[in-house]
Parts: sequence; C-alpha cells; structure tokens
Amino acid sequence: MDSNQSMRLLSSWIGQIGDLGLNLLWRFIHIVVSLWYIVSGISEAIESYAISLGLNKKYSSIDLEKLRCLAVVVDIEAVQDVAKVVELLQWLTTIGVKQVGLFDSQGLLKKSKDLILETVPGSMLLEEIGKDFSPDGKRIALEFISSSDNKEAVMKAANILLQRYLKSSHPENDQGENFFTESHLNEALGVVGENVHVPDLLLVYGPIRSHLGFPAWRLRYTEIVHMGTLKYMRYGSLLKAIHKFTGVHQNYGT
Amino acid sequence: MGEKEKRASNRKMPKHVAVILDGNRRWAEKRGLGTSEGHEAGARRLLENAKDCFAMGTNTISLFAFSTENWERPEDEVKCLMALFEKHFRAEMPFFQRDKIKILVIGNRAKIPESLRGLIEEVEEATKSYEGKNLIIAIDYSGRFDILQACKSLATKVKDGLIQVEDINEEAMEKELLTKCSEFPNPDLLIRTSGEQRISNFFLWQSAYTELYFPTVLWPDFGEAEYLEALTWYQQRQRRFGRRV
Repeated sequence: MDSNQSMRLLSSWIGQIGDLGLNLLWRFIHIVVSLWYIVSGISEAIESYAISLGLNKKYSSIDLEKLRCLAVVVDIEAVQDVAKVVELLQWLTTIGVKQVGLFDSQGLLKKSKDLILETVPGSMLLEEIGKDFSPDGKRIALEFISSSDNKEAVMKAANILLQRYLKSSHPENDQGENFFTESHLNEALGVVGENVHVPDLLLVYGPIRSHLGFPAWRLRYTEIVHMGTLKYMRYGSLLKAIHKFTGVHQNYGT
Repeated sequence: MGEKEKRASNRKMPKHVAVILDGNRRWAEKRGLGTSEGHEAGARRLLENAKDCFAMGTNTISLFAFSTENWERPEDEVKCLMALFEKHFRAEMPFFQRDKIKILVIGNRAKIPESLRGLIEEVEEATKSYEGKNLIIAIDYSGRFDILQACKSLATKVKDGLIQVEDINEEAMEKELLTKCSEFPNPDLLIRTSGEQRISNFFLWQSAYTELYFPTVLWPDFGEAEYLEALTWYQQRQRRFGRRV
C-alpha cells in the first residue's frame, strides 16, 4: 500500500513538474515571438523614416492607376483624434489618392464629417460628386462609413428584395432565384443608401488586425493591410503599403 | 503535435479557426512539379493541420477548399480537385469516426459531381452525431452566395408563414448563414497562407471581428511550427469586438 501511495505521489509530482516545464516552454516561445516582432517593428520604423526622407528612390513615384478606391478603418479608441485622421487624409492627398472611404464602427467620423471636409484641402463628399466628375490635381473624394452601412444596410436591402418577392405574381412557384442575386442586392443596397464602392485596398489603423465590421458585401477582393496605431502612423509606412499594393497581382480565384 | 505543445497551451485558444489554403500551385511550381501534385500536398497538409488544431483545443476548423471562382480554372485542374476531395473523404472516414469529428460541407452543391455529392452526404450522415470537433469544408462557397442564400431562406420562411417580416434582423440572418452548423459560427482567427492579404469572398459576414493572419509560407509548407506561431500571435492580440477597452 505504502509503495503504491508513494508511486502515486511521485507520479503526481512528476506531472506537476512536467506541466510547469511545459508552461515555461510556452512562455519562452511567446517571448521569442514577441522579440521577433519588436525587432521587426524597429526595422520597419527605420525603413519608414528613410522612405519619408526620400532616401529610397523606389517610392519616389507611385502609379496609382490600380488604386481607384482606398478605404481606411480606424479603431474606436483612435477615432477620437480627428486631427490625426485629417493628417492621414492630407498625406493621402499628397500621394495622389483620389477616393477614400473612412470607416469607424460607431460612426464618430461621420459626426466629424463637416470638420474634416473643412480642414482637408480639396476634399469633397463622394455622394455629391457628379457622374462626370474627373478628379484632378489635389482633390479627394471622401465617403464616411460606419457599422450601420454593414449588416444593418444588408438587412434593409434584404427586406426590399423580400417585399418584391412576396409581391411577385407566383411566389409559391419561385424559389427566389429571380429575386436574390448579387446584382439585385447591389441595387437594393443603393436604394438604402449603401453606395457599394468596393475598395481595392483597406488600411486598418489600430491595435486590432481585423476589419472591425467594414461593410462585408464590399470586401470580396480587397487587400487588407494592418498599419499599426493611428497615433504612431508614419508617412513612409503609408507610402510603402500603397506601393506594395500596386505590385499585387490577383487571379480572383481562377 | 508533441505532448509538450498540447499541454503547454493553457492560454486562450481560438474556438473557431478559418483557413484559406493558398499556395498549392506556387508550391508545385517551385519544385518543378505538376499542379495536381501541389494540390495533393495541400490535401495532406489539410488533414495534418486539422489534427493539430483539434489537439490544441479548437472546436471548429473551417477550410476554404474550393471557391465559386475556382470553377474558372482549367478543366483538368478542377477535375483533379474534385477527384482529390473524393479520394480523401473516402480515405479519411475511419479517422473522422475514430476521432469523432463532425464533417460539414458548406457551399453550393449544384455543380459538384454527383459521386462526390453522394459521398459528402454519406460522410455528413455518418458523423452528424459527433460533438466538440467540427470540420467545415467550404466547396463552391462564396461569402456573397452565403448572404444571398440566407436572404432567400428567410424569404421562403416568410412566404411559408414560419416567421413574420418583422422578425427579420441580423440575428435571424446569422441563423440562416451556412455556418449555423457550428456552435461558434464566427471565426476567431482567419489564416491565409502564401502572403496574399485578402479574404477573397470567404466568410464576409462572419469575419467582422476575426483576427486576420497572413503568413507568407505556402499552404503545403504550413506545418506544426507555423501553426504554433499563428497561435502565439493570436494569443497576444487584445480582442475588443468593436467596443472600447
């Protein structure tokens, strides 16, 4: 009996030591990965500074033909700092970006819309631009987007399609193929005010690496780049992200 | 996956991991192999990684195996992919049953070869009672298709008097999406291999607060070490789901 108890006690100790060892190993892995990201971050900061100073000729001119629409997602904590958003838009104007969708989940940027439009030279609301608008010089068209333009808008659009479906002459014979297509939903989204401008590139500013509820319907083939926090944004990093995008080749699944 | 990794991972683990398996063709090209060999290597990696994920405590793994856009690929490649799905569903059935993994295939099945469709139904039927481990395989899936079929499903329910128009809201919508099959329909972590930084029409609705991880490694090379790195990265994230801290 005693030897059995001793064995069980020994086994329990070994198990606990083993668990402690495994825990330490996992923490060590975390430290190594964290160090790697710190070093990587420092290297990126140095590179970004060099780009900002114009030391890297590769970024001196960027062909923006592929970048018809850029979207920016701002974390809810960062969006309070409208001055930083204005600075970012001024950088984008300098680079030559013509159309920008600004998103934050709570719609705080929408509330600051007038201030932003007054402060960013050459800026105008995208929805006020006529069809024959041709962006020139340092002008930039802005769209203000929030979570209400995402799932809520899709639900409203779905309701429009539903009403049409129910009012059709033979709903009992129709399984919905003639009412629920991508083009129908696109059209219905337009009716509810969701303009469905599909961004080519989405820049995410914040500690998070998700798109935070940016309108899902628009994100099919959008390049998503995490830029770090808005507070510490860098012109060089912005230039690098846009330059990298211009070199991306998409095969769209084919 | 070694015992040490399994037992060391006491920190938060993603309940639902979604993977876009990108890079099979480039992997094959780098080695002077044919496309089919790249896809075969990708299929083997898929099953190995699924085992690792479940061993680490993940409840649901979703794999973007074939998108709606992939039908536009050369006919030989599409046939090869469909044959690969059939081969591996048959070959891995004992594994699914032994490890009690529920298999769910989501997507538009209308264009899938009949033999594969029948096999999928068999596998789903044979594993439907299992709980705790869900392997969702997206074949002929697109995020927009998912949203549209959910709208259609709601419309049919209204037409049949099962629900009222006033009942249609985001919650009702989410219950109709193809991911309703999982207890955790929204992925915590989405991994897309090969360095491409897009979600390419995968889980558009479901990925609002999903952490996006874009490693440069090609899918057939995404092994245990790469998955551990992804998990470590995920565990360092501070998820807020759109709320202030």
